[in-house]
Amino acid sequence: MTDRGEITGVSASRKLNRRDFLKMSGAGLAGAALLGAAGCGGGSSGSGTLIFGMGPDDAQGTMAALIEKFNKQSDFKVEHQVMPADTGSYFDKLKTEFQAGTGNIDVIGGDVIWPAQLAANGWILDLSDKFPASEQQKFLEAPLNSVTYEGKVYGVPWYTDAGMLYHRIDLLEKSGYSEPPKTWDELQEMADKVTQDQGVKYGFVFQGDAYEGGVCNGLEYIWQHGGDVLDPSDPNKVIIDSPESAAGLATEASMMSSGVSPQAVSTYQEAETDAAFFQDPGNAVFARQWPYGYAYLDTKGYLKQDQVGVGPLPTEEGQDLASCLGGWDMLINAQSDMQDEAWEFIKFMTAPEQMKFRAVRATVLPTRSALLEDPEISKIPVVAQGKPAIENTHARPVSEYYSDMSLEMNEQFNAALKGDVSPEEAVSTLQESLEGIVEAGN
Amino acid sequence: MTSATSEKKRRGGWFREEFGNPERRLAYYMVLPAVLIIVIIAFFPIAYSVVLSVTDSTITGMGSFVGVENYVEMFKNPDFLEGLKNTVIFTVGSVALEFVIGLGVALAVNRAFRGRGLVRAAVLVPWAFPTVISAVMWRLMFQDPIGIINETANALGIISQPILSDATLLLIACILVDVWKTMPFMALLLLAGLQTIPGEVYEAARVDGANVMQRFFRITLPLLKGTILVAVLFRTLDAYRVYDLFWVLSSEQLESLSTFVFKSVRISQLLFAQGNAAAVFIFVTAFIIALIFIRIFGMQTGTEE
Repeated sequence: MTDRGEITGVSASRKLNRRDFLKMSGAGLAGAALLGAAGCGGGSSGSGTLIFGMGPDDAQGTMAALIEKFNKQSDFKVEHQVMPADTGSYFDKLKTEFQAGTGNIDVIGGDVIWPAQLAANGWILDLSDKFPASEQQKFLEAPLNSVTYEGKVYGVPWYTDAGMLYHRIDLLEKSGYSEPPKTWDELQEMADKVTQDQGVKYGFVFQGDAYEGGVCNGLEYIWQHGGDVLDPSDPNKVIIDSPESAAGLATEASMMSSGVSPQAVSTYQEAETDAAFFQDPGNAVFARQWPYGYAYLDTKGYLKQDQVGVGPLPTEEGQDLASCLGGWDMLINAQSDMQDEAWEFIKFMTAPEQMKFRAVRATVLPTRSALLEDPEISKIPVVAQGKPAIENTHARPVSEYYSDMSLEMNEQFNAALKGDVSPEEAVSTLQESLEGIVEAGN
Repeated sequence: MTSATSEKKRRGGWFREEFGNPERRLAYYMVLPAVLIIVIIAFFPIAYSVVLSVTDSTITGMGSFVGVENYVEMFKNPDFLEGLKNTVIFTVGSVALEFVIGLGVALAVNRAFRGRGLVRAAVLVPWAFPTVISAVMWRLMFQDPIGIINETANALGIISQPILSDATLLLIACILVDVWKTMPFMALLLLAGLQTIPGEVYEAARVDGANVMQRFFRITLPLLKGTILVAVLFRTLDAYRVYDLFWVLSSEQLESLSTFVFKSVRISQLLFAQGNAAAVFIFVTAFIIALIFIRIFGMQTGTEE
């Protein structure tokens, strides 16, 4: 009897403890949820901090150094919010934030192909009043074109990039060439001779995969032969279906069909080009690559600086130089409530002194024309040897539907390169589909 | 007449039985919150997608009603048709191969031998890798300058071009990688089914003089039918929705239904509504595939006879 009483006593007290425990944990959970909700509510950055969204800093940490310098001399602080390194993922993230209507990022470091797409949706600020024509003149032409949409300026060019030709000085010398080629015919000739004489694996490597880089490469050939995608004076007119454009794509395809480039070049992106050309022992005579490639030289496992030269891409006989514009602009979020502070920061980052700092330290090319003549910057090998390329860049089609156009172009350029369609078919298909995009947009 | 009225009474009776009874009504009320949450989380996005697919919305705003125009455009879109073709070929090819090879592995592992546990664990290893990792790994093996499979195939003369630059070869490569990856899943499901077949049935068959082939086709397969249908349905629906394998192995070159939806909804600006239409299409056709398995092949979804 006593046992049962004890047992019931014990179990009764245990039951109460369990109920108490459940009550406490329920109250605890509810409290935590309330706190969480309160925390979420007050999540926006406190006033006084300017958020600057941009991909990761370069290896030399120049962005962080400049932001620190700015913070010391101003009465508000700037914080670098690191965005994805891959430009596609960054754009995705940006678009998601804009669609959600959150105005967190005040200043956006944007790829040159974004301003038209963002401006058309009203997401970035028109800077025409802050950024007068007199100031605009000081910048290079193509970067300025990339931030201009429907006659208004939506950003300030920050740093630039241009497609360049890298060549192996040592291999060319051994075969008796002292100068890099000026035309594509010369390049094919030289590549053939060097690969035959010295058994180098590839003559010329470039980015032929069906992605944004492939569009850059294809457009370079089109521009170098005198063609273009959109009429420069009327962005609603598609002019890609022309004998010049077809000739350009034919030259690109001939690289593969003549054996100067490997068949796999239609799957090459930047990484594969780097591996083929820059990595020891260097399996290619020529490479088309962005200026950043130069930074590989003289590091472990890569070629030496005296083995590689850089310069403008060859062009068609009698035509101007042309290379694809890359690079980044400074944009202001239209929803930002710190627009004046944002402009102060942008003025600082795009001032000649700051651009020079980044150029000398990290080979980040400036967008101000005067800086290209600066003695210190002119000593940088990429600028010294590649200045004509930087001065002759073309912007990719400036359109609010550039993403759709890019998808169409990368498919057709890749098909023409592989020989699945003839260059004439490719440009006429593109004419139709790009016209459809422009029409659908209007 | 009696049957009709008794039917009606039975139907009316069911309703009154469920909701007239206060206890059962209370049960319904208690389940209501959970059901509401499921409806909101599971059905609302699907319904919203259907609504978007019959308008001309873009990512910036809701559009106006356009009826079936998006669906008509979608069926005329060459990218969509290519994605549909690739997906169907991939589904049929990979599920068929997985089934045959998986059944073989299951039969082999079914008899007890030393180290069987270890073999079963080893067979599971490809299944354990995240698809993205295996896709990148296999892509490196197929790639031109450094890929071992590419080198070997070209050296043996089976093919004469880089695997990754030809659409057909890419599809074959994707099918093979998928078979490598999910055959273990099939094998384990079929093994579980095999182990429910009692040994006496085989003994009796052997006594009656049945040979290996007859035992397999007359005893094993029929008794395994339920398991086979479940495994094949799961794999078919999974393969039908293939996205990460195509996207990573072909570096965005190969189109499938799901990559078409992603490109249209996330990358393109103009095809947003069409992408939604494609998503609804995938949903409806997957549903139909499941229905076919259940109704026509007689897959059992429960313990009813």
